Amino acid sequence: MFSKIKVIPCSGMGKVYGLLARESALRVTQNLRPQECETMCLAYLVTGDQEAREKIEGKNCITLDGCPAMCAAKNVEMAGGIVVDKMKMIDIMKEYKGAKPGTATELTEEGWQIVDEIAERIAAKVKKLAKEEE
Amino acid sequence: MPEGVIKIGVVSCSGENCLGGTISRLATRKMIDEIYPDKTVTICLPLFLAGGEQERMFANAYPTITVDGCDKLCAKRATEKYSGQVSDALDVSEIIGKEIAESPALSTRNLTDEQREMITKVAQEIKTKFEKVFTDYVNTLIKSGKTPASGCGCQCGG
Repeated sequence: MFSKIKVIPCSGMGKVYGLLARESALRVTQNLRPQECETMCLAYLVTGDQEAREKIEGKNCITLDGCPAMCAAKNVEMAGGIVVDKMKMIDIMKEYKGAKPGTATELTEEGWQIVDEIAERIAAKVKKLAKEEE
Repeated sequence: MPEGVIKIGVVSCSGENCLGGTISRLATRKMIDEIYPDKTVTICLPLFLAGGEQERMFANAYPTITVDGCDKLCAKRATEKYSGQVSDALDVSEIIGKEIAESPALSTRNLTDEQREMITKVAQEIKTKFEKVFTDYVNTLIKSGKTPASGCGCQCGG
């Protein structure tokens, strides 16, 4: 049975990278590929609750992390999720030298444009993974 | 925490699955950006597991208030499991209603005026708890013979 791919961002609180990760995940799961992927609360995974672990154990996941601490990837792995792709916003932003995407609270127009582009990349990965699972 | 500087921790769940998570995040950011920028400190909740000993010391280093989007209370439970007892906790769903809090997560791109009002209301609730926790902490320091001072930490009084 096809299981939706999990797209899980860190939603980091301190820098814009966390917000870029969060908004990209929401864009792909709610607008671009809602039939093939979904997100879940990373905080719920952090609690270690059995119910949270069961939701992710053995499932394909794409993690979106803001910074090198890689909180989303590490927590998903610890909960038993299969991390098929780890995307790091701070690295992706190197492709946008000089860009001013905003802050951890709100994004600029440029930030939203970057979110849309990152979400398109994630959507392509989701599409490919979903096809492989069929 | 540097000697002489009092900061209060505010830790949100930032849940990705419901509106309450978005509101918990933005109300916490309001504390950091606007309400008490010099006295508020935060940490990314998943760092309790992904980080090291220093991150897990957070709730011991700072009196901490957790802000949860729904009644699962992930931020409160994870903070107490990995870091330490929290000083107070806030459940957004008790303020804006369970049904609204558990409606689908929202991009900050699509926030309505009504939702912005909810964020302001939750931030005010955090502020009230913050002020009590701050006062209690200062009183505890005074009772224990320590000299509390809030501000920039350079002893300039700022």
